[in-house]
Amino acid sequence: MSEKITFKELVELIAKQSEQSQSSANSFISELVDIIESGLKSDGQVSISGFGKFELRWMKERTGTNPQTGEQITIPGQNKVVFKPFKALREGVNTPYAHLETTVIDPEKTSKKEVPNVASAPSKEVKASPVNNTGSNETIDDLIIERENPLRKEKKESEPAVAATVASAVKPNPKLVKEVQDKGSFNWSFAAAGIIALLAFLLLFYIIQRTPDTDRTQVSEQIETPVLPNGDAAVQPSDEPSEVIDEPPIEAESSQRGEFDLESIQITPGQSLWTIAEAELGNAYLWPLIYHLNQDIIDNPNQIPVNTNLQIPVISNPDDLNEFELDQVARGYLSLYQWNRENNPDEARFFLWAVGVFSTDLLENLPSEVDAEDLAFAVSR
Amino acid sequence: MNYKELIDQLSEKTGNTKTGTKKILQDAITVLSEQLEDGKGVSIPDLGTFSTRITPERKVYNPHFDAEMMVPKKRVVEFSPATGLKEEVKYLGKENE
Repeated sequence: MSEKITFKELVELIAKQSEQSQSSANSFISELVDIIESGLKSDGQVSISGFGKFELRWMKERTGTNPQTGEQITIPGQNKVVFKPFKALREGVNTPYAHLETTVIDPEKTSKKEVPNVASAPSKEVKASPVNNTGSNETIDDLIIERENPLRKEKKESEPAVAATVASAVKPNPKLVKEVQDKGSFNWSFAAAGIIALLAFLLLFYIIQRTPDTDRTQVSEQIETPVLPNGDAAVQPSDEPSEVIDEPPIEAESSQRGEFDLESIQITPGQSLWTIAEAELGNAYLWPLIYHLNQDIIDNPNQIPVNTNLQIPVISNPDDLNEFELDQVARGYLSLYQWNRENNPDEARFFLWAVGVFSTDLLENLPSEVDAEDLAFAVSR
Repeated sequence: MNYKELIDQLSEKTGNTKTGTKKILQDAITVLSEQLEDGKGVSIPDLGTFSTRITPERKVYNPHFDAEMMVPKKRVVEFSPATGLKEEVKYLGKENE
């Protein structure tokens, strides 16, 4: 933006705000600048609370072109001063566009006008209740449809475990988006399509949805979501796609060990068990293993405590787990089943089902009592 | 240098109390932030220029969901350091390279 105020105006405003003379405000600023400079020189960085962080970044040597002569030149490595605004400032500055949401691009349809509107409405709701998807009835209604479809279909076709959907509160949204696109031209503004309208829509779609059976699976296979996981807190939404891939090498080979070698890592903000498993174990679907080994410090698998240490097992090959590892992953899913029975009963059975994916032995010889319906569901798969 | 060290040094130089220094610094930040939030830039001598810029919407690929996504346009803070500062720190700690 080209609009600017002069330094003099800035000083006047600061003097007014802090009730001091302009000259003292002026000298305050120049002292501040001196200190920032000396801080950069001594530490390479200066943080100012509530504002941002200045830091030096080393730019490697690179080749460039002299724009006047067109000749190739080598630009030597050098430090660059960068300023990284903190969240409050970033958000403040972005206020005019804060209502815009990241949206999924549907490659087939390019009706962009519809997508943002519809997508932004439900994503707001999801944000409002990132941990428990009990936050809104709409989402749950939708969830149920979403999940039951692939299961029923698979049974009929008796295919080997194709990607089955376990749960995602965000996942229903794209379906909604697609529905809207398919059914035609609902061009609702975000403001107008309030929660009540949304509920009405979902019910409507639910009814429509029930009729064409084939249509459903097609939709549910799409894994997309209009909401980017925003990594502000170490919160892992319980709507985690705990989808299990078709990898049941249950007759795994030897090299069986009695226990894991453990490594310790510290949880940093923004991490979830899912992302840790992806980074440390090489397969995000193994996250229950971490939960299993750290149950003493993790109360809620969807919300892990920042700055505590987690025990991470060392896994030989995430694509080819040995029997012991499979068993442990299955036990992890079993622990999650038990946790979900208490806290999220609607979805618990999917975790039980996942137990069987990793270890049929364990599912057949469960160490504790489980709900008969859940077991029937898990076994029937 | 963290915030506390900054306040310590600043209050030493200005002869003000730490609380007083903190307050003035936060006032200055408030004023500066307000200007940026209004989309106005400002140059601070020997430090650099703060301004805002609009990044256009862009496509990204999200591997987690295997989907292309459209990130909306955003207004962001830009900082370009003053020439003096830039030269001062250019080869800092890397003199031998």
